[in-house]
Amino acid sequence: MKDARQAIYRYALLTRASHWLWVLAFFVLVGSGLQIFNASPNLDASDKSDPSRRVLAIGSPAEGVGTATLFGRTFETTGWLGWTDDGMGSRGAHAFPSPVTIPGYQDLAGGRRWHLFFAWIAGLCWFAWLVSTAIKGNLREMILRPDDLPKLWPMQAYYLKLRATPPPHGTYNPLQKAAYTTVLFVIAPLVVVTGLALSPGIDAIANPLTAVFGGRQFARLWHFAGMLLLLGFFAIHTFQVLTQGVINQMRSMITGWYQPE
Amino acid sequence: MRRRLFIASTVSALAACGPITSPLNDNAGFRRVLASAEGLNHLLIGTHGLAREYHERDVDREFRVNGFATPSDVRYAELAAGKFAAYRLVVDGAVERPRTFTLAELAQMPQQTQITRHDCVEGWSAIGKWSGVRLGDLLAAVAPRSDARYAVFRCMDNDGAGNLYYESLDMHQARHPQALLATRLNDVPLDLSHGAPVRLRVPTQLGYKSAKWIARIELAGGVATIAGGRGGYWEDQGYEWYAGI
Repeated sequence: MKDARQAIYRYALLTRASHWLWVLAFFVLVGSGLQIFNASPNLDASDKSDPSRRVLAIGSPAEGVGTATLFGRTFETTGWLGWTDDGMGSRGAHAFPSPVTIPGYQDLAGGRRWHLFFAWIAGLCWFAWLVSTAIKGNLREMILRPDDLPKLWPMQAYYLKLRATPPPHGTYNPLQKAAYTTVLFVIAPLVVVTGLALSPGIDAIANPLTAVFGGRQFARLWHFAGMLLLLGFFAIHTFQVLTQGVINQMRSMITGWYQPE
Repeated sequence: MRRRLFIASTVSALAACGPITSPLNDNAGFRRVLASAEGLNHLLIGTHGLAREYHERDVDREFRVNGFATPSDVRYAELAAGKFAAYRLVVDGAVERPRTFTLAELAQMPQQTQITRHDCVEGWSAIGKWSGVRLGDLLAAVAPRSDARYAVFRCMDNDGAGNLYYESLDMHQARHPQALLATRLNDVPLDLSHGAPVRLRVPTQLGYKSAKWIARIELAGGVATIAGGRGGYWEDQGYEWYAGI
């Protein structure tokens, strides 16, 4: 019988490489996306711009004041949104502060260049990872299946310490499978497709695509909302790694080797 | 404690995006690497698709002005004062029959009306009803030579620093069935802020390609020797020449 304490080779090189490339590409896409958002800091649930269907508006109603208006309710956000650090040593009317945008000063042309380049990196990386994982037959380990559904709550109960042991599962537990399946096969593809849908050239060659999402401004809204969901996944994922043996977890995603407890 | 550390590290990781990337953004070599995506996008999207056409009820009666609101060329003020009676659209360069067009001559050519969406690079969009002469029809009238690869649009505007506003399309884009030399917006002649008397409409690309206040269309074999060499005023500022995405 195999020694339970022996290190196991958990992640293939391509999985690890694509994981870290995604981390890089994700941060670049969020930062450059916020730079692009700043050029027109509104989100409308419509095809063309329409203030009567405005979901989010970030602005500066007066010098030195920043506000964010979400579903018609306005909050003062000076310093955080609307009136923020301009990256040039002072504050100005910038929706998101320049330190979180790429580049770290107002440059729509530059932000677009970063965004459109790293969109390719993230997309090609996803495709390479998907093909190699599918060929190796490891994909089914992480895809949520109907028989995983009854195990979702027992797994959550275990995390909440309401249950002594996790339900029996394979390489990934049912909640991990749910998270990975949703992020890799629902949210990330939706973010890519909505990004394409808000482009006039794509709208011209694939007319129904933009219409499916409710039009150009609506696609922009979904694109932004998808980014927030991915940020939410990132926060939970990082929290899990930090609280569940961070050194072992990080080592396994860098070298591939995981040490079972 | 751990949670606070986690939140602090997440926020500082996000806030590092700007300071880390700004020096890279200023590096010409790095910008060339980033710009490689443009050719790929142009290749994949191509120029054959048709922009969606809308209904009358979708039209924005108050059409938002893109770019600058008033042209700064002194000739323009004189032309506008004379209601553009003295306006001549010059079409020359690599063509067999260079000539000029008065507004009356343009009005006598077959007219196209399109209700299309204007997608600004900043992120907003508006729908307008545009009428005018198809660029392809105008080019056919001057017979481009086989060495013509670009249509370069010279505008009666500059940025105050002496840089003239210009744009360019390749011949495929220029002959696109929706590439329009618009003279009317929402059933009335173009007003000053929307590009009177003649502007370009390229609904399959971002709004900055739709140059306003056009004085001259020059057919050329290349754009490298014009101004900043990137095929347009905004392109010289770093924006993509192919603006379909």
